[in-house]
Amino acid sequence: MSSEEAKEYALPPEVLEETIRASEELWKPVRKIKFRIYKYNPRKDYAPHWEEHELEVSRGMTVLDALLVIKGEMDHSLGVRYSCRMGLCGSCAMMINGKQMLACQTRVLEAAGDGDVVELRPLDNFPVERDLAADFTSFFEKHKAVKPWIIRNDEVELNNPTGPYKQTVDEYARYYQFTDCIKCGACLSACPTAATDYEYLGPQALAQAYRYMVDTRDDGLDVRIPIVDSEHGCWRCHFAASCSDVCPRGVDPAQGIQLLKKLLIKRKFGFKPHKPAEALPAKVKAERKE
Amino acid sequence: MEAESEFKEYYAKNMRGISGWFKARAYTIERWLYAAHRITGILIVLFVLAHFYSTGWHPGLWWDALLGIIVTFHTANGIRLILAELGFAVGKPLLVKKPSQRPVSIEGVQRYLVVFALVLFFVLAAIWAYYALVVQPMMG
Ligand code: SF4
Ligand code: SF4
Ligand code: FES
Repeated sequence: MSSEEAKEYALPPEVLEETIRASEELWKPVRKIKFRIYKYNPRKDYAPHWEEHELEVSRGMTVLDALLVIKGEMDHSLGVRYSCRMGLCGSCAMMINGKQMLACQTRVLEAAGDGDVVELRPLDNFPVERDLAADFTSFFEKHKAVKPWIIRNDEVELNNPTGPYKQTVDEYARYYQFTDCIKCGACLSACPTAATDYEYLGPQALAQAYRYMVDTRDDGLDVRIPIVDSEHGCWRCHFAASCSDVCPRGVDPAQGIQLLKKLLIKRKFGFKPHKPAEALPAKVKAERKE
Repeated sequence: MEAESEFKEYYAKNMRGISGWFKARAYTIERWLYAAHRITGILIVLFVLAHFYSTGWHPGLWWDALLGIIVTFHTANGIRLILAELGFAVGKPLLVKKPSQRPVSIEGVQRYLVVFALVLFFVLAAIWAYYALVVQPMMG
């Protein structure tokens, strides 16, 4: 780009000034907030204890930003898990003032409200790994238990695809909402059933089971039914809907579970939601290795 | 030693236990209804046990009205739960989400069901209380 062109695309000076001013405003410290942080190492400590740190926070500062400042400057031993910092990896869910939220998506002032204390705990109903990090082993196992992948009987086509599977937008709309799940664990943590039933599959796994069962490309309906229609399966849910309330991605797992129950009942009467989709002839012919 | 390891396990597991059923603060009204449904359900079972033990046993005037509140709540909310859990009134999965999308299953048609259940509860409870506190004593 020539300098002439660059000038054309550059922001007018007054807009630029306003932008800079707004961003400075966003990051200017405005209030002192006290962070109460749960400290516990199950391998060493006898019992958890709380630690308090005070921090000047700005309007744009997220809880994760604050935690990283605390970890860098005040308490290097703080255990916190994060990765993407933008609500996509699902690592940083924790109890922020008593509610499951993503630390990287919650601004400190939003969490504090009118008060000036932010209380941070690891996720409820998850074993503690250390401090604010929870142990997700069983959570991931539950997810795996519902076979979250496309199950098909045409092995040959599956392994050496000749074209994409046919699917209309309406069919896609049946399950798209559930594909946004980032496995942050907030829903399972909020669920009252999970508070007493350690083995309850949980909203995340059940919603994913539904997601694959109504996917037209999938043929695993009857494989998954015995898994979700079990003692610790979908009938344990009593629609407290807290899972959907806390889900940071709008997955609405409670809806998925209720629709799953409907599907199971319909299946008892012999209904099948779809025939497994056929492969469309590909534009570019692939050579099939038999 | 035993007690100590149990104590440690309690914190390491971090399960809320029964108190988790009633941790409704911070969540939506459905969670309160869930907690109330649990309590009323347990109380009904206790009453039925007492009732089986002696069918003649009667809790008395005000207790009768209280029993009415418990039973009518469980009934009205139960109707809502049956409808919601059979997949009615929870809406359809979305194809397009707003940046901070609120769940359709909570804030869609289901909310009307909540209102309906609460209204039904008040009406039924009022009728029961009227019968228990006014009509019953009159008839002796
Ligand atoms: S359904 Fe929502 S709350 Fe649950 S794990 Fe997925 S993204 Fe997190
Ligand atoms: S709707 Fe079901 S899965 Fe979700 S929080 Fe309530 S009981 Fe748990
Ligand atoms: S750090 Fe990835 S979701 Fe918060």
